[in-house]
Amino acid sequence: MDKQMSADRPKERQVMLICGEYLTPGTLDEAFAAMQRHRGRYRVVAGCTDTLPWAREGRAGDVEIPVLIDVARIPDLRESRVDDHRVWLGAATPIQRFLDDPALGRALRCMPRCAVWFADEQIRAQATIGGNIVNASPAADVTPALIAYDAEVELAKSSGGRILRRRMKLDQFVIGPNRTALEEGELLIAVECDALPGHGGSFEKVGHRRSLVISIVCLATLVKLDAQGRRFEDVRLALGGIGPVPRRLADVETFLRGGPLSAARLEEAAEMPVSLVASRTRQAYRRDVVRGFMLRGLINAARRAGAEAGALPPELEAVYA
Amino acid sequence: MPDIRLEATINGRKITRNAKPHQRLLDFLRDDLNLTGNKEGCGAGECGTCSVFVDGVLMKSCLLPVAKAQGAQIETIESLAKTGELSLLQKAFHKAGASQCGYCIPGMVMAATAAIRANPFADREEIKERLGGNICRCTGYQKIFDAVEMARDVQNGRLPATIFSEVEAEQGDYIGKNVRSIDAPSKVTGRLKYAGDMTMPGMLHVQVLRSPHPHARIVSIDTAAAETMAGVEGVITSADVPGEDGFGVIVNDQPVMARGKVRYVGEAVAAVAAEDLLTAKRALAAIEVVYERLPAVFDPDEAMRAGAPVLHDYAPDNITKHIPIRVGDVEKGFAESDLVVKEAYSTQAIEHAYLEPEAGLAYVDHDGVVTIVSPDQNITHHRHMLARIIAKPIAKVRFIMSPVGGGFGGKTDMIYQGMLALLAMKTQRPVRLVFTREESIISTAKRHPSRTRLRMGLMRDGRIRVLEMTMVCDGGAYGLSTGNVVHKAAVLAAGPYVIPNIKVDTYGIYTNNTPSGAFRSFGALQAAFATESHLDICAERLGLDPFQIRRINAMRDGAVTHTRQKLGSVSLSRVLDAAEKVSGWEAGAPVSRGDRRSDLDRDDIRPPCALGARFAAADKQEAAE
Repeated sequence: MDKQMSADRPKERQVMLICGEYLTPGTLDEAFAAMQRHRGRYRVVAGCTDTLPWAREGRAGDVEIPVLIDVARIPDLRESRVDDHRVWLGAATPIQRFLDDPALGRALRCMPRCAVWFADEQIRAQATIGGNIVNASPAADVTPALIAYDAEVELAKSSGGRILRRRMKLDQFVIGPNRTALEEGELLIAVECDALPGHGGSFEKVGHRRSLVISIVCLATLVKLDAQGRRFEDVRLALGGIGPVPRRLADVETFLRGGPLSAARLEEAAEMPVSLVASRTRQAYRRDVVRGFMLRGLINAARRAGAEAGALPPELEAVYA
Repeated sequence: MPDIRLEATINGRKITRNAKPHQRLLDFLRDDLNLTGNKEGCGAGECGTCSVFVDGVLMKSCLLPVAKAQGAQIETIESLAKTGELSLLQKAFHKAGASQCGYCIPGMVMAATAAIRANPFADREEIKERLGGNICRCTGYQKIFDAVEMARDVQNGRLPATIFSEVEAEQGDYIGKNVRSIDAPSKVTGRLKYAGDMTMPGMLHVQVLRSPHPHARIVSIDTAAAETMAGVEGVITSADVPGEDGFGVIVNDQPVMARGKVRYVGEAVAAVAAEDLLTAKRALAAIEVVYERLPAVFDPDEAMRAGAPVLHDYAPDNITKHIPIRVGDVEKGFAESDLVVKEAYSTQAIEHAYLEPEAGLAYVDHDGVVTIVSPDQNITHHRHMLARIIAKPIAKVRFIMSPVGGGFGGKTDMIYQGMLALLAMKTQRPVRLVFTREESIISTAKRHPSRTRLRMGLMRDGRIRVLEMTMVCDGGAYGLSTGNVVHKAAVLAAGPYVIPNIKVDTYGIYTNNTPSGAFRSFGALQAAFATESHLDICAERLGLDPFQIRRINAMRDGAVTHTRQKLGSVSLSRVLDAAEKVSGWEAGAPVSRGDRRSDLDRDDIRPPCALGARFAAADKQEAAE
């Protein structure tokens, strides 16, 4: 018999986030001032759709944070600007904007398809693009899709009364599970990326159900075809859920660019990223899914990019479209 | 903690109130404004029972810090039928019979309202997707989708509004007719009060301290610090039980709170009643329990071996129940058989996941009657047990069954009502306990995990000669309904088939896992999974169609079952015919199918990993651009 005695003073079993103060700054300056005033005792929140479930039994459990600073109401962070070449999205833009704003949906064809898989109708209205990025979940949906658009993040911090800004590529900003290059006192202000209205988009995702589902694998695909609709002019691919961080598939893109939509090339391309699977669990399953999603993503995006009738291999189209 | 001065418009009324910075909008609406129509089912944004409109946009109020409602227009379920007249969707939910337990329904009506506002012409697929954030465990969703489509069609003039007032059943003629459920209006409006919605003047809030160990002796429990905390009105342990401590369904092996030792992680050890929830939670942290850990057993087969840790003194072999059934001569049956197939099957624990987590309210009334209000599926039995536990005559114990927000068998155990009674008696004030979803999952009964070894002998023509089955069910730490579950598994093990020789043994075993208990089908599922899977395998081996092998062996009207029950009518043949038809079954033995199945390639079957019904039109347009 194990004679070990233990005095178990249970952890406080709070099942909600306890905070002393909940601040809702109206401007960036106010936000930075609050961050300085409460240095070391605050947490920045936006949509809160992950923070509240995180502070429950089985995850973080008892969480008492002196000050929560909610940046979701800062007007600068809620703006979005779209033109023919670039898209600028404030960090507090709700995910649902991709579905509700037709101009945004046209500029970023992949994003409405990504958004429709994101949580559910209601959480999308509250959850923010910036929150999804800063959370840096290996299963994030928005991040890989934005990486396919060559997104950059705009970061800012306050120093000596001035706001210092810097930019970096999104795929360098996310450095590991729940880890980013965000510095102490720094805020994610916006995401900027290419507008690609001429690219067909697809977002393939699988999890345990359809709504409120965490990606086991997701794949963002963008395809632009030549004027005849028979060759790849441009391809953008990014995978999520397969390892610690999302992965842009630059080698596959190079391989496909300029080539025909032939079965042999699609199948070879589908095989290329299979070895990238480095997840903690279910690697064999994920490899199968990656192979299938590559074909499905490329075929769906090519069809939506206006592939010529008969240009896609019919045997693959029948199975994957 | 500086309060937030909150100004908002709630259901059309401007309010100015103080709110705590950590409150969620859901807490503020339910606790401070008494708007209990919207419910809390999970507290984690998964279930949608709390969905409300914020500035016209549907959101989950359990995910919204109350400060996010500053200056906003909030509409709860109470706003939809404010004048007393049900909204279009509420009428449709009533008409379609879309509400059962009703707990998900306020959120579901809100989500349906949002869906039809977003796209008044949404088809069924799009409706499904737009309602994806709301979970229902009763209806299977079909009637809910029917209701949304009905409301959509009435709104668009494709169905007459008179459809809502039509009454199908003639006076007094109900069998085989569609009858309007009379409690539906209370559910679609959110007016129905579940136990967690109820309050009483002077009511205290209860929290439960639970075991972190699967098996441990309780050396000591020190509640002194908790009892002296400001706001704490009562702390109880098993020492507070005045009568004969022990409840169950067949054997009363479970104490109200752990007595002497804990047998599973999540078992109640002590409980606190305090003026508010936060104080009660903090008091739990001040209770000190010293445990001496004991070897634990988590596998029922291991628990049956000699020398395994023993959970209960009365059952040194850890067997809760063994049911043997013997019919005919099994050895002779195998000797006569052309084919003998042997296989093993297992099933896992399953959580009921009713949308309403357990909740209860208790008080001692003016006549000294200890009264428990809770969604309790077995109040008469519980009343008798509680009278014995609290040493009161039966006339001084009253159970009131509050609306059950889904039970499925999971609310048949008296898992928390005893603690409520003791705290009401100790404090002489009304007390209320509302489980969190996590607490509900960790502490209440699950479906029995099972392991089945099955051997069947058949003739070449498909007739079953003999069945031999041994099933071991993991009953977990306490008996609860295990005895009845393994009994039913044994009775139904051989299925509705004529089998002359049968040997069945089912066992319910104690382990240090979460207790297993009643769950829809009650042991039949585990047995049927094994027997029916086995029949498919046998059909494959014999080159028979799986439907055919069942028809060959099917019991007919007037059959006598293996346990001597005479069946007046047997509907198996009709069930098989209907299942074969609707599934679009491809006739033939399982081996006859190629690599593509035509029965899956149908319009009414959704392709895997597909979402985005709303893009159907966009797809065509995108390609055209």
